[in-house]
Amino acid sequence: MTFESGHEESSKPTFLELRGVSKSFGEHKVLDQINLTVAEGEVLVVIGPSGSGKSTLLRCINFIAAPDEGEVIFEGHSWKVFKSKFNFVANRKYEKKLTILRSEIGMVFQNFNVFPHMTAAQNVVLGLTKVRKLGKAEARLAAVAALSQVGLSDKVDQYPEKLSGGQKQRVAIARALALKPKVMLFDEATSSLDPELVNGILEEMRRLAKAGMTMVVVTHEMNFAFQVASRIVFMDQGRIVEIGTPDEIKRTTEPRTRSFLSAILN
Amino acid sequence: MNSYKFDWNVIDKYLPELLRGLFITLEVSAVGMVLALVIGLLLATGRLSSHRFTRAVSNGVVQLFRSIPLFVMLFWVYYGLSLKFHLMFTSFQAGAIALGITGGAYMAEVYRGGLTAVDAGQREAAIAMGMTRADAFLFVVLPQALRIVIPPTVNVYVGLLKGATIVSVIGVSDMIYVAQYVSLQTFTPFELYSVAGLIFVCLTLSISGFAWMLERRLGKGRTYG
Amino acid sequence: MDSSQPFFDFSAVWASMPILLKGFGLALFCASVAIILAVILGLAVALLRLSPIRALRWFAFVYTQLFRGIPLYVLVIWVYFGLAIAAGVNLPAIPAGIITLALLNSGYLSETFRSGILAIDRGQIEAGIALGLSRGEVMRHIVLPQALRIIIPPLGNQYVDAIKDSAILSIIGVPELMRESEQLANLYYRPFEFYTFAGALYLIAVLGVSKGMNTLEKKLSAHSAHTRAI
Repeated sequence: MTFESGHEESSKPTFLELRGVSKSFGEHKVLDQINLTVAEGEVLVVIGPSGSGKSTLLRCINFIAAPDEGEVIFEGHSWKVFKSKFNFVANRKYEKKLTILRSEIGMVFQNFNVFPHMTAAQNVVLGLTKVRKLGKAEARLAAVAALSQVGLSDKVDQYPEKLSGGQKQRVAIARALALKPKVMLFDEATSSLDPELVNGILEEMRRLAKAGMTMVVVTHEMNFAFQVASRIVFMDQGRIVEIGTPDEIKRTTEPRTRSFLSAILN
Repeated sequence: MNSYKFDWNVIDKYLPELLRGLFITLEVSAVGMVLALVIGLLLATGRLSSHRFTRAVSNGVVQLFRSIPLFVMLFWVYYGLSLKFHLMFTSFQAGAIALGITGGAYMAEVYRGGLTAVDAGQREAAIAMGMTRADAFLFVVLPQALRIVIPPTVNVYVGLLKGATIVSVIGVSDMIYVAQYVSLQTFTPFELYSVAGLIFVCLTLSISGFAWMLERRLGKGRTYG
Repeated sequence: MDSSQPFFDFSAVWASMPILLKGFGLALFCASVAIILAVILGLAVALLRLSPIRALRWFAFVYTQLFRGIPLYVLVIWVYFGLAIAAGVNLPAIPAGIITLALLNSGYLSETFRSGILAIDRGQIEAGIALGLSRGEVMRHIVLPQALRIIIPPLGNQYVDAIKDSAILSIIGVPELMRESEQLANLYYRPFEFYTFAGALYLIAVLGVSKGMNTLEKKLSAHSAHTRAI
């Protein structure tokens, strides 16, 4: 792992690819040699039992969790794990480079993580000013537009504590989309919502997919998965068991996939 | 029990002086508080260090400062340190330092509580957007941590205020000192200390009440996802 | 700079060990008795706070605010000198010190008890009564065990505070650790050494109490068979 270029030019121009990605938490190996390609405009839905590593997979894509092995190739750049034991300056510099990767990838979390000390608009403006380096006025305009896109034009100056779960998640989505990312990651975005609010968010996600956004979605919502996914990834115990179109997965003969699906879909 | 005549004249006559002494108490505790804020911050950052040694030392120091009575610390600084290392502290300085050290240990706990109370997901969301760690800390974590930290900080100050009364023992002419020498002359310790006590209670109650109001106002910064 | 004597000389300290340890013992004794009294007082005041009679509630409230707002130093002198003159009672130093510590800590403890009692979910009590248990049995088997678990840590903290506060009793002449250290420090002209040693003793006491409280808490958790949802 040299520092010189934490990222190198890769020969094959894939859009997003994970190669040999592994990650352990202490003794427990959560991801085991994951290889995955995502094409532009594709909606990849990742399903699987709890503990299969789905969330960790997502978090390795934008390096919120740094993989122990392997690389993430995005737009021709390869990102590997880097940690120098003693060269703090190098570590800092690499962190700075990672912000570039992350600014192109948006993430929506299960528990929203909306900033409670800021209004909805301020939540969106923060990213625009700090990451996209927009001016305050510009950022405000863009923020209002982003919030209107998700149907929150009347809640622009409200604090999150006054918003419902679904509305908070919309703020989170607007906040991510405002930065105009190339990929959107959804980590069980509806799992914390009351049932009647889940569909609202799924609708937003459908709209995004239709508009051509490249998405990687971890979810338990099977109907949504089979309706919207370009491909479905089934994971179990840190490995990808199979990948296929929704039809292929439905007709699969792979036993683990079958048992998972039958348990869920019943 | 024979009836005791409360001597109001004494209070009437010496109240201004008592209040002047109170001002000194406020001064000492204020300086001590500033020191405590700084020392506490140093200790808190030490405890969060990535080096095990720094962490262990910081934790040990915090434990040490929290275990030693203020009174002992005061004498250790004023008599012990100055005699041993020939640092001539004035009694005011020694008092402020002792308060700062003891308060610093408590502040270290408060800082730590504030930072850990902010949900980890907040920082994650900021980083996921592409913000630098510095920006994530400054704009997302710190504002929320401050809201959490302010009420307990005021509590620490109230504690220092109460502790500052001890400095009269080493000669700082604070309110207690005034009460002492007046009561020696007039033989009215009951009156003087009752008033001193009452003044203190009012002071600490109003500060605590102010903190309570502050906490309600800042409530909109409640931390959840 | 005195070069004939070593820089750090604890020989006087070691020589005075018996006196110092005796003072240490007295400090612990005062703190312990004071805490026991404070627990009794605090519990009583806590119950008053929860009383249906407004006057009692108000009295308890004033009591807690008073003893939480007053500096120990002021209280000690007030009790020993002031109260003695006003009430004509001649209290010896040690009882006066213990009473003062007890009063002060009772204020904090009453708050602790009150929140401990309030923290027990109403539903638990209702469930117990619905099962057919008497109020007394509900208290004993359901409320108290849980309340104890909540109360032990703050109680431990108060005990630690009482030990530290005992140092102030030296002002009224109680021959505890601080006072003995002070006198010996002046005698041998070694304040740094004596106060350092005193500090070390207090540290040991505090660590010991904290450790003891931890094991007590663990023991209590082990005894209860039901699991807590964390």
